[in-house]
Amino acid sequence: MANSGAQSDNIYWHFTPNIKYSLGLDYQKDKISGEAFPSARLTYLINRKNTATSQRNLYVKTGFGLDSSDNHFYSLSGDWETRRLFGSFSAKQVSGIGYDLFEQRVKLGVAPYLGAYGDLHTWLMIESKKDDLDDKRITYPVLRFFKGGGLIEVGYHKKTDWDIHLMYRF
Amino acid sequence: MNKFLLATLLLTATATQAAHHEMGHMHSPKSHLHDTMVDGQKLSVDAERFDNFVNAVLGDQIVVISVQGMVCDFCARGIEKTFGKDSTVTKIDVDLASGKVLLAFAPETEINRAGIKQNILNNGLNTVAIQFVGK
Repeated sequence: MANSGAQSDNIYWHFTPNIKYSLGLDYQKDKISGEAFPSARLTYLINRKNTATSQRNLYVKTGFGLDSSDNHFYSLSGDWETRRLFGSFSAKQVSGIGYDLFEQRVKLGVAPYLGAYGDLHTWLMIESKKDDLDDKRITYPVLRFFKGGGLIEVGYHKKTDWDIHLMYRF
Repeated sequence: MNKFLLATLLLTATATQAAHHEMGHMHSPKSHLHDTMVDGQKLSVDAERFDNFVNAVLGDQIVVISVQGMVCDFCARGIEKTFGKDSTVTKIDVDLASGKVLLAFAPETEINRAGIKQNILNNGLNTVAIQFVGK
């Protein structure tokens, strides 16, 4: 998984031994402090609710710096999706990477068509986020495409510029 | 300019997929294997899809699994990957729209219902029903 945004670029590899948790390594290049932060990450699934048409998840995530345990983050996040609709939130506290940061995100999406398995899937989304560094909420459109194991998500806001997210599942 | 590029990309993808799905809903007047009665119940599967699946593995045992939580391709890929590792499975079809997984097993295979449920659960999904066709 790779992300490029206004505050940082990062690349993240993770392995999921079972559905309850995943372990990963993250390498983040912070654009504000100019420093690099390699870290180990853990994601734990607190709760999942499956229905015939939907799936809902609640996760806790944490990460610790490989070069300094002062660098760490923890977050609570959740998502709910059907084949047509998507909603997610996250609240994340980051510390020790040159500054402290509390960030909130909310994302809503709709699929304009329902693709079959293997088709190109498209989502029209809107994301809203707010953090301590700039105590002002920004909201911007996001396009998500995925096909097979690949996903690309592109968001744009005139203030923060491009926000790009790439993911591939093996 | 950026907005124009994004809009063009989106419209192209949407139009291509819409055309593809209209073709996918055309039904052939072939056999009606999907009407097979199983455990006293009628199968609720995509008719043409089911017929195509069965016709490709004539003589094999067919299992239809109803799954909850299968809402995206990533879920479907996980299921396909898991059952793809099982050498007794001769064919797999995952239907996102109906939440069904079709599996074909060689005729002599002793099918493990609990193992199927566990494989689905290992992918983070739930099994609602497992139907055996022709048994």
